[in-house]
Amino acid sequence: MSETNQKTDYFPYLLLVPALFITLLIVAWPLAETVRLSFTDASLNPNEEYIGFANYERILSRRFPEVIGRTFLWMSLSVALKLTIGLMGALLLNAAVPGRTLFRILTMPPWIIPIAIGMFIWGWMYNGQFGMISGLMQRIGLADGPLEFLAAKDTAFLATVISDVWIGVPMVAVYLLAAMQSVSTDMYEAAWVDGASRWYRIRRITIPLITPSIVTIGILSAIWTFNSFDAIWILTQGGPRSGTTTMIIDTYKVAIDRFRYGEGAARAVLIVLIMLSFSLAYYMVLRKLSKSGATK
Amino acid sequence: MSYLKPIVAAAAVLLSASAAFAQDQKMHFTICGDDSWAGDVTAKYVAEWESMNPGYVVNIEYVPWGQCQEKATTLAAAGNAPALSYLGSRTLPQLSDAGLIKSFELTQEERDGYAGPVLGTVTYNGKIWGVPRAFSSRAMYYNRDLFTAAGLDPDQPPETWEQFVAAAKAITENTDAFGVGIPANSSDTPMQIFVAMVYSNGGTVLDADGNVAFNSPNAVAAMEMWKEVAQYAQPGVAAYGADEIVPLFAAGQLGMIFDGPWLRDNFPDVNYTTAMFPHGPDGTHSSFLVTDSYAVFTGTGVEEQAESLAKFLTAPQAQLEFDLGAGLVPLRNIAGVEKLIENDITWAPFINVIPTGGPEPVIPDHAGLNDIIVNAVQGVLLGEIEPAEAIAEAALEIEDLR
Repeated sequence: MSETNQKTDYFPYLLLVPALFITLLIVAWPLAETVRLSFTDASLNPNEEYIGFANYERILSRRFPEVIGRTFLWMSLSVALKLTIGLMGALLLNAAVPGRTLFRILTMPPWIIPIAIGMFIWGWMYNGQFGMISGLMQRIGLADGPLEFLAAKDTAFLATVISDVWIGVPMVAVYLLAAMQSVSTDMYEAAWVDGASRWYRIRRITIPLITPSIVTIGILSAIWTFNSFDAIWILTQGGPRSGTTTMIIDTYKVAIDRFRYGEGAARAVLIVLIMLSFSLAYYMVLRKLSKSGATK
Repeated sequence: MSYLKPIVAAAAVLLSASAAFAQDQKMHFTICGDDSWAGDVTAKYVAEWESMNPGYVVNIEYVPWGQCQEKATTLAAAGNAPALSYLGSRTLPQLSDAGLIKSFELTQEERDGYAGPVLGTVTYNGKIWGVPRAFSSRAMYYNRDLFTAAGLDPDQPPETWEQFVAAAKAITENTDAFGVGIPANSSDTPMQIFVAMVYSNGGTVLDADGNVAFNSPNAVAAMEMWKEVAQYAQPGVAAYGADEIVPLFAAGQLGMIFDGPWLRDNFPDVNYTTAMFPHGPDGTHSSFLVTDSYAVFTGTGVEEQAESLAKFLTAPQAQLEFDLGAGLVPLRNIAGVEKLIENDITWAPFINVIPTGGPEPVIPDHAGLNDIIVNAVQGVLLGEIEPAEAIAEAALEIEDLR
């Protein structure tokens, strides 16, 4: 091999070095530092000590398992609703129905409005005395008094899910709309000629052909929803009675509010492990789809 | 050559000036919020201190409340601490445990200059970790028109818990409004108001030695009273903090609320008066006393000067000027305070209650304490747990924080 060829072989790797360095600096190093902190009693006190698995033992022996269960329930409900409403929204956006432009415009507000402002608006809407939802329900006779959605554990749980769904639906809808638009119109025309109804075409053509996209956006949505912070924090701060405290809220409270960096890091490591399993699932799905040619 | 002399002279002046600047030691001074809280008073006294302490230049940096304490602690943890920092006093124990701030030595005369138990908000492990700068107490605001409409005497606000519950009941039953606004969401306010009720019945959270003393008949009685009066509060109390209760009171939908003095000018459409917290059978009128303080960080090399500046800014006359400018409860018990009440009677309960008020509990994990007490209050008001059990559980959890 000539000297020139050798230089050519190394050159692409050399080009990767800056990107690799930045990735190590902003991803790998903080992650490694978080793992290290999780084995210490780190706090504001600069003299931290290694305490082995004490942080993990401490959090797993307390209410944290309950928090993990609540997080999965919250995420599952939110993702299921996002997919269902997002799919219906995508069908409306894709259909040649009157008002399609309006539907497309209506998709935008949750994206245009900053999440914090959106959540403050939701907070007031959920208020029993001034809120629109309670007022409307009283006017149409569905309630005989003010309804305080954020005052009880179960209703607060549902209220935070609904607000999170409001944030996440546009992304799902637009993603699925793109998938629907890639389905060949010939198939719909053939089915229409054969007398297939609109519902039949959706059930037999649209849904099966966009299933890979539904799975992909489902997994991505699960990853984003699992760490959803703003909606819960602004609406309830994890209350009442910890009824809306998910893993990310609990971690924030421990690490940032209470300066227990070691304990917070242990919680963060658990979140990373769960996220890794989601990412692995996402990778496997992508690989399978890639092999079957469904992503082409 | 005729230009040479002036150039040399100018260079000499510049060099000497830069040498003088080089000698100036800079002191980083972080203040939470913005200069709307009597920033002009602070600036005036800082300039005065600088003129008395040549060689030191104070750089004031206002930091929004949301990031303020975090910024000071992050700078300190990174070894670049501000010389002096305005902080919520609740953060002092944690900073003290971490060895990031230095304690103040106050003479007896300096201690005596503070009103009532104010220094209790900055005392931890027997030492004073900050000099109080901003101070507030809590009191009751009540709607006189609703009192009249409910058949109550608006000149006789409830003195005892019994009268308080009866007044709340009368307003709820005889008007379209709710008797009282009870905060019970997951913010700071619910703990502050409930603990003020505990103080008003002779109870406490931590005793003078810092031991947990929350599990007492006094606290249980306060929780029982809170549960009883919640029947006459706005529905869904666990969704309400100060931000949600204040608009209801402003709209004339609540008979009584509890909050700080900053609301005195916020209700132009409400015919209201202020009064002290009603007291329980085993206590007297009390309140929840909160301070923000100046803390001196260690390792800056200008600790002595920072302490001197803090004391200078909070000296009685300078402090009163600041309090009046910012509309805060006066920290110092000096001549001039009584004029405040003479000019505006709504100040009275906030100032008169100071000697019997209780300090914000001084504990390193303050956020944890807040969560525990709010959780107990929510549990009782949501009907999930009985008052005695909630207080006992909370006391154990507080013990676990220490």
